[in-house]
Amino acid sequence: MSKRVKIVLFGILIILVQVAAAQQRFPKPEFETGYVQPSPTTPEPRGLAVEYMDVLVLLAVLSLATWFALRSRSRRGILWLSVFTLIYFGFYRKGCICSIGAIQNVALSLSDAAYNISITALAFFLLPLLYALFFGRTFCAGACPLGAIQDLLIIHPISLPPWLRKSAGIIPVVYLGLAILFAATGTEFIICRYDPFVGIFRLDAPYHMVVLGVAFLLLGMFVSRPYCRFFCPYGVLLNWMSRFSKWHLSITPSDCIKCKLCTSSCPFDAIDHPTEESAPPPGRTYYRRFILYSLLIPVWVLVGGFIASKSYTYLSRAHQDVYLSELLIHHPELVNDPDNLDIQAFLSSGKTLDTLVEDARVVQQKFRTGGWFMGGFIGLVIGITLLNQVVFRKRKDYQPNRGDCFSCGRCMDYCPVKN
Amino acid sequence: MKKNKRFNRRDFIQSSIRASLVVSVGGIGGLALKNSTGRDWVWQIDPFECNQCGRCATECVRNPSAVKCVHAYDICGYCDLCGGYFIPGAVKLDTGAENQLCPTAALIRKFIEEPYFEYEIDEDLCIGCAKCVKGCTSFGNGSLHLQIRHDLCRNCNECSIARVCPSKAIKRVPSDTPYMIKGSFTKTTDT
Amino acid sequence: MKKSVIYIFLSLIVIIILIIVIGDFRSTRPDRMSGNPYKLNLDRIKSVDPNLVTYQETKNYRINARQAGGIAVAGEKIYLAADTFLQVFDYAGRQILKITLPEPAGCLEVSKQGDIIVGHRNAVALYSAAGEMKWRSEPLDERAVITALALKDGTIFAADAGNRAVHLYTAEGKYVDSFEGKTSIEGNHGFIVPSPYFDLGVNPDGELWVVNPGKLALENYTDEGNLRSYLENISPEIDGFSGCCNPAHIAIMADGSFLTSEKGVVRIKIYEPSGELSTVVALPDKFMEDGEAPDVAVDEEGIVYALDYDRNMIRIFEPK
Repeated sequence: MSKRVKIVLFGILIILVQVAAAQQRFPKPEFETGYVQPSPTTPEPRGLAVEYMDVLVLLAVLSLATWFALRSRSRRGILWLSVFTLIYFGFYRKGCICSIGAIQNVALSLSDAAYNISITALAFFLLPLLYALFFGRTFCAGACPLGAIQDLLIIHPISLPPWLRKSAGIIPVVYLGLAILFAATGTEFIICRYDPFVGIFRLDAPYHMVVLGVAFLLLGMFVSRPYCRFFCPYGVLLNWMSRFSKWHLSITPSDCIKCKLCTSSCPFDAIDHPTEESAPPPGRTYYRRFILYSLLIPVWVLVGGFIASKSYTYLSRAHQDVYLSELLIHHPELVNDPDNLDIQAFLSSGKTLDTLVEDARVVQQKFRTGGWFMGGFIGLVIGITLLNQVVFRKRKDYQPNRGDCFSCGRCMDYCPVKN
Repeated sequence: MKKNKRFNRRDFIQSSIRASLVVSVGGIGGLALKNSTGRDWVWQIDPFECNQCGRCATECVRNPSAVKCVHAYDICGYCDLCGGYFIPGAVKLDTGAENQLCPTAALIRKFIEEPYFEYEIDEDLCIGCAKCVKGCTSFGNGSLHLQIRHDLCRNCNECSIARVCPSKAIKRVPSDTPYMIKGSFTKTTDT
Repeated sequence: MKKSVIYIFLSLIVIIILIIVIGDFRSTRPDRMSGNPYKLNLDRIKSVDPNLVTYQETKNYRINARQAGGIAVAGEKIYLAADTFLQVFDYAGRQILKITLPEPAGCLEVSKQGDIIVGHRNAVALYSAAGEMKWRSEPLDERAVITALALKDGTIFAADAGNRAVHLYTAEGKYVDSFEGKTSIEGNHGFIVPSPYFDLGVNPDGELWVVNPGKLALENYTDEGNLRSYLENISPEIDGFSGCCNPAHIAIMADGSFLTSEKGVVRIKIYEPSGELSTVVALPDKFMEDGEAPDVAVDEEGIVYALDYDRNMIRIFEPK
């Protein structure tokens, strides 16, 4: 395009904008009685400064939780901190902003150049991960309002069989994969939509959100912290970080006397037992198995990626455009339904069905590619989980499982060994 | 304090994985930050795209909705027969309940001078159903329109109305320009 | 025993959670959402006996414009103002003439001699049939928004919606006078124009008819601006006008009947010179919902030309 054409086009655009503006600024009547026209009020949203305050509060709470878990070894401190978190991030901030949901903001900002993530959301995403890398999941212990509300309502924890724990442990991975896929394709933010406790924090939320929250709390009376352990997608990330954390909460301040008291104190089955001294050293079958399971990991990745990518038609239906285009293709008679607001809105938008189908195809393509990543990722986690089942690790003492431990500090409290 | 060799190796693997995790977390943060403008986002309705479907009244997580009708006085015609105030074919042009369009009587009609009337919204009563907006846009100048009120909005990460808005009129807008009041911002000419 | 009770309880809760999540997810799908409970019911206005419609759409031409202005028909030609262009077409839709205007035009009118008078926002200009500008009037004030033109012998009437006034010009483009439709009658406020819809026309008897959109009335004025008579029927029924600023556009037919175009519930109708509804040209189903009222023009044979702003089309309606 030559420069002159550009200038002409720009000129036309300016004229058009002026036309539109002129239409809007049509002169109003001239009043004779001295009537003063009011102007519409515009209550301001929460200021940016207050948003940054939240980041500071998070930083403070995280640091305090870490200090209580690793240095002062105070379960009571963590308890009161979680009460504060529940009140501040839960009931005062109404559960929004939260680190769990921030995953989606990060995913969307990486996939959609038009969306710029806010510094607050990014800080809420990064800070707990960095803390977990160095100190374990202290975020879960004291800084997460969702964790706090469940932790305070553990009444009669039951121990779940390992097979159930391990297999249900895949749910958060799938959830994380779906959440990132949906956020990155601009479909929706499912983590926020099915945040179970936001209905309780807000007190005036729709009925089904409150029921969902109460259901989770009832479940949590027996299965402690059910959301954290079997749903929380952010927990997956924290789990990995924590496995490689530099420091971590320890059950005893000095030497373990193997009294087993701590195992009954932990409501999350997150304490690993010591391996038996008399156990024979790993033999040939062990190494053969280890190699087999390691080699199976790429197979899992491929299978997962293949399945997820192939199911793109099904997954992409979560996107309103894809759903609408399929609806219009399979049920053209709905065009005459005046109560179908989406179809009516589409018809009056002046867009043709072809453009909608094309838009839907682009989204589906994203789902197809994204499906490989998501499925591969889930496959990888399944493979590693299985490998972990056969890996033999020598443990002398009762130790918290670094991945699963929420650093809540109950075990420290129960440990009879004091300095 | 002599550590055995095996322990050292494990330690080394641990810290190198940790270092790579720090790098990747930092990388994700950096990539996201590169795009960031340092501004926050809030949700707002583009009144020129809104098609008054009524979902703002039913789909907001708040009850009554954080969406309210706003009156852009600048473009109001101050009509006696207001399409946003009266039901189509109102018997009399007075404030009788049977003549009013608004289901909650949130629109207040005030006489100014012959032949002009002012219309004001009682936000405590307004439920954001857009019935008056529809009437005003169809028959009048479109000075009544919906806006998300930020003193009421929870600023959910994803607006539950936006998720189902059939005309995709609810968008993220920078928090320093949180309103799209008709008449005070210029409609972007569509392509 | 007790443990099994707990397990049953927990399974029930898990089932409840699943039902809520899946149920909620499915409930927001476009084909499962309910209609608008706050729908503005316009059925009473929209439901019209189809036998009243005696016209049908026979042709339409797509126009290439971003903002169409106005339409006029004279001497078997269609005149169109759109963006900054003035275009003339024959009845087959072929372009005969296209000239570029210095600024966008909102309305136009054609004289018996074939001269084209164009209404800009605050000025009137005259072009010859060949597209040559003869004169351009002095600009009006800032508030001016000229929305319609009419001709009578040596006088040009320009409806100014911004100033709520009708301006008179000589055939040479000299400003003569204005009137605001005010009379000494108590309670008569003159022209009430809440939005840029303000049309006028001169009938075959030389009477000036001006729409008073705020009153939903057609008013007959002397050339000096004295109200002579008016036609008014405020009603949501088919024979009346409702809403604000209707009729948005008018054209006067060869027999003095009024061709009217409404906004809100978009429709085109024809009224007898006495003010009774004579026939319906097009009902809302022919137009976009909440669309703009089309500008209308009519030729000697009663064929209606409507400028559809939403679809960017000239649509031609002929008697059945």
